[in-house]
Amino acid sequence: MSQTARTGTLQAAQDPLDDIEGELSLPVTDLADRLWHLFISMRTGLALLLFLAALALVGTLVAQAPPGIAGDPAAYQGWLEAIRPRFGGWTGILDALGLFSVFNSIWFKGGVVLLSTSILACSINRSPLLWRQATRPRTTVSESFLEHAPLAELLDAATTPEVARAALQRALAHRGYRTIESADGEAVALYADRFRWAPFGTVIAHLSLIFILAGAVLGQAGFRVEDLAVAVGSKVAIGNGTNLEIEAVSFSDSYYDDGRPADYASHLVLYENGVQVAERTIRVNDPLRYGDVSFFQSFYGPAADVRVTDSSGAFVYESGVPLLWRSNDDTKAIGRFALPSQNLVVYVIGVASGRVDPAIRPGQMQLEVYQGTASTPTAIEVVDQGQPVTVAGLDFTFLRERQFTGLIASRDPGAPLVWLGTLLLVGGVALVFFFPARRLWARVRPISGGARIQVAAITRHDVTFEAAFGSLIEDVRAGLDPAPSREG
Amino acid sequence: MFKMSEYAFVAGLLAAGLAFACYVAGMVLARMQANRPALAGAGAGGGTITVSGSRAAATLATYGTLIAWLAFVFLAASLIFRTIHVGHGPFSNMYEFSVAFAWGALGVYLYFERRYHLRTLGLVVLPVTIGLLLYATTIPSAAEPLVPALQNNLLLTVHVAVAIVAYGSFSVAFGAALLYLIQPETGRRGLPRPAILDEISYRAVVIGFPFLTLVIVLGALWAEIAWGRYWGWDPKETASLVTWLIYGAYLHARVVRAWHGRRAAWLLMFGFAATLFTYFGNYFFGGLHAYAGLD
Ligand code: HEM
Repeated sequence: MSQTARTGTLQAAQDPLDDIEGELSLPVTDLADRLWHLFISMRTGLALLLFLAALALVGTLVAQAPPGIAGDPAAYQGWLEAIRPRFGGWTGILDALGLFSVFNSIWFKGGVVLLSTSILACSINRSPLLWRQATRPRTTVSESFLEHAPLAELLDAATTPEVARAALQRALAHRGYRTIESADGEAVALYADRFRWAPFGTVIAHLSLIFILAGAVLGQAGFRVEDLAVAVGSKVAIGNGTNLEIEAVSFSDSYYDDGRPADYASHLVLYENGVQVAERTIRVNDPLRYGDVSFFQSFYGPAADVRVTDSSGAFVYESGVPLLWRSNDDTKAIGRFALPSQNLVVYVIGVASGRVDPAIRPGQMQLEVYQGTASTPTAIEVVDQGQPVTVAGLDFTFLRERQFTGLIASRDPGAPLVWLGTLLLVGGVALVFFFPARRLWARVRPISGGARIQVAAITRHDVTFEAAFGSLIEDVRAGLDPAPSREG
Repeated sequence: MFKMSEYAFVAGLLAAGLAFACYVAGMVLARMQANRPALAGAGAGGGTITVSGSRAAATLATYGTLIAWLAFVFLAASLIFRTIHVGHGPFSNMYEFSVAFAWGALGVYLYFERRYHLRTLGLVVLPVTIGLLLYATTIPSAAEPLVPALQNNLLLTVHVAVAIVAYGSFSVAFGAALLYLIQPETGRRGLPRPAILDEISYRAVVIGFPFLTLVIVLGALWAEIAWGRYWGWDPKETASLVTWLIYGAYLHARVVRAWHGRRAAWLLMFGFAATLFTYFGNYFFGGLHAYAGLD
């Protein structure tokens, strides 16, 4: 519709498909113009959408490198070797093309940038036109438009023009059309529209994507810790530029009879600069939120409370140690803590749940103490609960078994923008499709022996309008026929 | 209740099969009679055959519709009984979701059939429904307790309920596009006019696209509440994005001259393939979306 309306000659019943592409007219003068026309072209938009769809499809079909290892060349190489058997000779090619991290690849990012540009350009290009159509629509059209528009009807009736006009108005009002009449010689020109603001739904839907993308970019400034293990009774600093510490006061898990997990819950207390700021029992689907930082229940496992004292009896360390890792044979649960001031690293090893180990009996833990970065331990001790052992001049005591709760901590400063964007997206799309905008033009004039009504409209690609137009005409026709009952 | 749900399921499956058989028989009869114009004009006898033949075809088709409605009601009953039995929306494993998907496709089809009086569409959509139901018979239907990740009933229910409308609409769009593609531009006798099919496809996508958008947004919302991120390129999420992009492309393709018509119809083929891929994706990729029926 755009070109014709813009030039104010809404008359030729030309294929409305042309105008939307906006590439019919205007001689292309320079590069900027050329680029502009490229970006507002629906063809470009279509190509970009399909290109991104194809890339996303690759992202589901080709194994994607886990996010953690992208910045770690050694880990990435290891991962490549692990998948090489699956992709064979293609491994190198896919890697070179960046298809193992499609969504971080130049292709995807470039495609998204181009799409956003195109969306922005389309919106800028169309908004003034939509605004004009909603606020100052063209209310009269030429004779030839009335005759040759894609939807055009002519009704002659043996009534006065006033009756004909009333019938037309009634049928339109019945359908919720707004009408604007104007005198046109001895005829009356009539413009009618419905949901005239709804076309802004496309603008809203298009711009919403920009919001979502902006939110996603902003989100990069946040953080996400996926393996935050906190032993019950212990406190862990979140770091990442926050002064937050999270304490797990308690943890409980329950199971169905068949052993599937039914529920797990952690009671958490959050501190900022040492002061308690939040407290809540979280479970799966029910996080703790503080400002834009959130804590999610994710996993759980065993932990061991360990105390370390020096020869004078002063505490060097006392905390719950989450046994976060599993041994390769899956029989042992392993935790680790460091004593930086002593330059020691300590591994705490227990038996994985459901396993039996002759060397580490129930109520025991194995401690391995390493000096600095040494690869062989200074000492390996299996300790009984509550019985201190002395290694490197320190007393190590395994106090009790505990559980740890595994949390995800995340801060996403872009999230509000993303949610705003999704709201606009759903709202915009719903507006376009559930409130289809309609415009039509009519003229009522006296002819010898009666009145003539002409109604015309452009269908664009909106096939549903055709049926609606037909039923409108039927209504008008019925309204024109003097009803027998009324006559009698 | 569990038994009732199973009985209703079987009844729904049988009814869907029978409805399809009626459609096919009606169609074949109508064709046979259309292909015998010479015979029809040849004499009184031929004329009688034609009249009774066409009447039989119409009757069969009407029965087909009736039985298709019956199938719809049976499947609805099956889902309701199941809801009562498990105590939450019947949307937590592949079995439940397949029945719901089949029911949705049938429902959207019946809506379009009422609107356009086009039973030919059923020749494509009913097999989709039947296929999904047959698939459902191959997976365990036992109700299992919900794992914690799925224990967000409101979101889960709305997420999946909305998905059913979207998928159902895409099934109908697929059916119409397929009928569009198997005939020449000018149409073929016995098949609905290409323009009508184009219209039906578009109408179905106009329903499906907003709903799919909502499915993805609700999924993102849920992912945020459960895992602390609204989007993680989980294969299931990614596949749904592919689907969304294809239908988005379709909406724009209809307005580009070189694309409207056949190419747009082809996009609907790919769109439906992507829909099925998203749906059955769990078989292709291991993601966070765990359906109890699969593990
Ligand atoms: C993911 C990206 C996009 C989404 C979700 C989107 C969404 C939509 C929707 C829902 C409509 C209404 C369609 C209809 O009425 O049938 C629409 C129309 C439109 N889109 Fe997009 N769009 C996207 C990208 C683009 C791009 C890149 C361009 C520019 C090249 C563009 C240009 C247009 C235009 C000009 C219309 C109006 C067509 C008309 O008025 O009939 N869109 N878009």
